[in-house]
Amino acid sequence: MSGHRIAAITRRLLQGFRRDRRTLALLFVAPIVILGLLGYLMRGSSSAPQVGIANQDSGALGSVVANALRQSSHIKSTDINASDGDAKLKDGSLVAYIVLPADFTQQAQAGNVAPEVHLEGSQPGEDTPVIQALQQAMISLASGVAGRNVSFQPHITYLYGGANYDTLDYFGAAFVGLVVFFLVFVITIVSFLNERSQGTLERLMASPLRRGEIVVGYMLGFTVLALVQAAEVLIFALAILRIHNEGSVLLIFGMEALMAIAAVNLGIFLSMFARSEFQAVQFIPLVVVPQVLLSGIIFPVSTEPTPLQWLSDVLPLTYAVNGMRDIMVKGADLTWGSLELDAGVVLGFCVLLIVAGTTTLRRRLG
Amino acid sequence: MSETYTVSVEDVSKSFGAFKALNGVTLRVRQGEIYGLLGPNGAGKTTLIRLICGLLEAHAGTVTVLGQRMPNVGVLRHIGYMTQQAALYPALSVEENVRFFAAINGAEDGVKEALELVQLYDRRGSVVATLSGGMRQRCSLACALVHRPELLLLDEPTVGIDPQLRVQFWEYFRSMAAAGTTMVVSSHVMDEADRCQRLGLIQYGRLLAEGTPAEIRGQGGSQNLEEAFLALAGRRES
Repeated sequence: MSGHRIAAITRRLLQGFRRDRRTLALLFVAPIVILGLLGYLMRGSSSAPQVGIANQDSGALGSVVANALRQSSHIKSTDINASDGDAKLKDGSLVAYIVLPADFTQQAQAGNVAPEVHLEGSQPGEDTPVIQALQQAMISLASGVAGRNVSFQPHITYLYGGANYDTLDYFGAAFVGLVVFFLVFVITIVSFLNERSQGTLERLMASPLRRGEIVVGYMLGFTVLALVQAAEVLIFALAILRIHNEGSVLLIFGMEALMAIAAVNLGIFLSMFARSEFQAVQFIPLVVVPQVLLSGIIFPVSTEPTPLQWLSDVLPLTYAVNGMRDIMVKGADLTWGSLELDAGVVLGFCVLLIVAGTTTLRRRLG
Repeated sequence: MSETYTVSVEDVSKSFGAFKALNGVTLRVRQGEIYGLLGPNGAGKTTLIRLICGLLEAHAGTVTVLGQRMPNVGVLRHIGYMTQQAALYPALSVEENVRFFAAINGAEDGVKEALELVQLYDRRGSVVATLSGGMRQRCSLACALVHRPELLLLDEPTVGIDPQLRVQFWEYFRSMAAAGTTMVVSSHVMDEADRCQRLGLIQYGRLLAEGTPAEIRGQGGSQNLEEAFLALAGRRES
């Protein structure tokens, strides 16, 4: 071991980084961006889940519980009519509604209450605060029935999913699409960069090929690969992992295909801004990670701080993830306006990227 | 009387930022001619070749190829371009590479002939990544001429190949020129210059001298092309 020779290697490494400003920036900026985003997402998360309360109790105890619910810090409550509840769950303005039945006071006096809890059900994390709030509100009953023990047996129904619906079902739906998006993005950006660094792109540009033909040819080639991959992922997710699926398999496949096409074109477009494979891989923490954090996969967009919601609303992955979940969790089909919007946004993004990729193709040659 | 040239470069300048790569270069190449572009590394040879095939656009002056003002996509199918490094797809076989470049030029029927010309027909199934440098260079040449272009642009085609192969390359070039193909060959190796019909000496982005090898010798006042070049380069600087 020679300290001198080892020092030569160390020095050479650091000298190289000194000239590669992009890598330096990544090294020091990316962790702040990612951690900052994560912190803002978790600490700044604004809203407690929106819960509707329908108090149908003819006695006095219903309003005692309803009052307690209104004061709960776990949820944000609004009074609704029980008949509007399901519609409000569907349009996403409520995550749950609680019905206190007409004989609620009698039930309480008989020592056994059974309020109805209707959960939207697609986001497992949002159920817990609702049940917690209800349990705490029940404590207030104790005074109303003079210290008698009241057992609490909520009657829970789910609009989507069900009691067996678990975290994997919720994340799985989004990840089926995300895995395809991410891997296709990486292989496209690297192979398009190879085309550039091995000099074949220059040859292509000096041939009768038009720029659009190169971009579309690439897109088709990688889409073929991506579709085979998407099919494999889907079969694994549905047959082996048995991820909850309400929707049409063809529709899921179609959404995956759209995401793959978007990923291919994002890869081509971004490869214009990288000089080496090394720099290309650096786009992953900068482009992919924030998109994943903001797309609603882990943190529902509705619970994000408002400024981040604006950001989420312009990122295509948000729509793709939402679309996948609508299909798999809620059984959406193309008659759903929300799915049409999701698919439309992803498609529009594909078109935008094809145009952007084509126009930037020339610029970085000279 | 105005002669028609296959390539006509008129008073062309091209800068990259503050760096003037080409400064008022004028040269003309006749049909069926082997035109040697000679000069040291960094003189502007590659820039000139890229301008001729329309990969770059001149800031001043005009480039005309086969009667069309460049850049012009329509002319590109009549141009073959061999880049400095052997630009090939390493994961494809020799034949797959040549067939690809044939296909994008709409000339699949030329594949066998091109492979035979560069004597790679027997190795056509070999994956490019496993080939020696010389074979890659030959494969790269096959890709450039598979569509039988009227104009062949060769950017330092003989760099890094052994003397035997170099002789072979020049034999290909001569037979193609005899068949009517126009060729622009860049090189910084002076002993290759003698094989060209006409030469353009280029340094610091300017054309120092142009003419047949004999004329260049006369202008430089030396029987040795290398000395003649150095004399011409020195004269310009003083």
